[in-house]
Amino acid sequence: MTKLTVLLVDDEVEFVKTLAERLQLRGFEVRVAVDGESAMNQIQAGFHDLVVLDVMMPGLGGLEVLKQIKQHQPRIPVILLTGHSSTSDGIEGMRLGAFDYLMKPINIDELIKKMQEAVAT
Amino acid sequence: MPAYEKKEVEFFGKITAGSTHEMKNVLAIIRETCGLMEDLMALSRETPMPHREKFQKALAVIKAQIQRGVEIIDRLNRFAHSPDAEIARINLNETSEQVITLARRFARLKNVALDTEPGPPLTVVTRPVRLLMALFGCIECCLNVIPPGSKIYLRPQIKGETYALHIACEGDFPKPADSAQRMAAADQWPDLERTVASLGGSLELDASGPGVWLLLPKAPA
Repeated sequence: MTKLTVLLVDDEVEFVKTLAERLQLRGFEVRVAVDGESAMNQIQAGFHDLVVLDVMMPGLGGLEVLKQIKQHQPRIPVILLTGHSSTSDGIEGMRLGAFDYLMKPINIDELIKKMQEAVAT
Repeated sequence: MPAYEKKEVEFFGKITAGSTHEMKNVLAIIRETCGLMEDLMALSRETPMPHREKFQKALAVIKAQIQRGVEIIDRLNRFAHSPDAEIARINLNETSEQVITLARRFARLKNVALDTEPGPPLTVVTRPVRLLMALFGCIECCLNVIPPGSKIYLRPQIKGETYALHIACEGDFPKPADSAQRMAAADQWPDLERTVASLGGSLELDASGPGVWLLLPKAPA
């Protein structure tokens, strides 16, 4: 099975580092960005099968990054992560073209299942 | 509500909601770190490791507490958003569930069980924060008089021309009417009556329970 390349985007450094390591242990090729601007730079510079993107980030926020991805690289599926307790961010994200969303703290098995569904679609 | 009071309540809600968001990130970090430790232990399953079982049990405890933390934070976040609208259409079943989750800790400290029994779909148009405060106050009045081991049920229902929330106490009450009178004699009872009156409603003692009826006008269609 081809290794999927995923870009993780979250300003919480410890979260994104640890999640990256766990996904690597499970056979994913993982790249990390800790803000929206560097996420867009990485997306434009290289190939990614999908993006896992936090909604609430300082500067270029997750929903804005999503809009830009859908504008410039619409084929890349995006899964949103939100720390809000309500579903409003996720629903807004899906309206903007996200494949799906998960609420933090996430379950890694659920994330992987959604990643695989996103790439298969 | 006077302008400054309204702003104060909105301020509390805004800051609390923001803090719950941050706490979710903290729990997410703890969960992933815990998960990484589990992953690494699983990789080294064949290697002898002292106290392996204790580590696994400890990690399971951490995960369970993370889940507990998430539930508490979700509850607090919902509460923090209560002042978002000064007046709103409110589903009494949902409000009952919300106030039960907020008050359960206080009940547990008095060794009283607290639960809600859903009723028909009932909607009122009123002030969400004030209604929560009033319901919480009714529960507190009950907690202050009933013995440990008792139960309190919150039951939304129709009562005559009003929508009612019946705060019903169940347990070993030798003289329920006396318990009901003690509720009405409590220091906070007059304030509670005024709060409910400001919602267009009223309070009635339930001497048979004991308990309290919080009566509210039905929402216009």
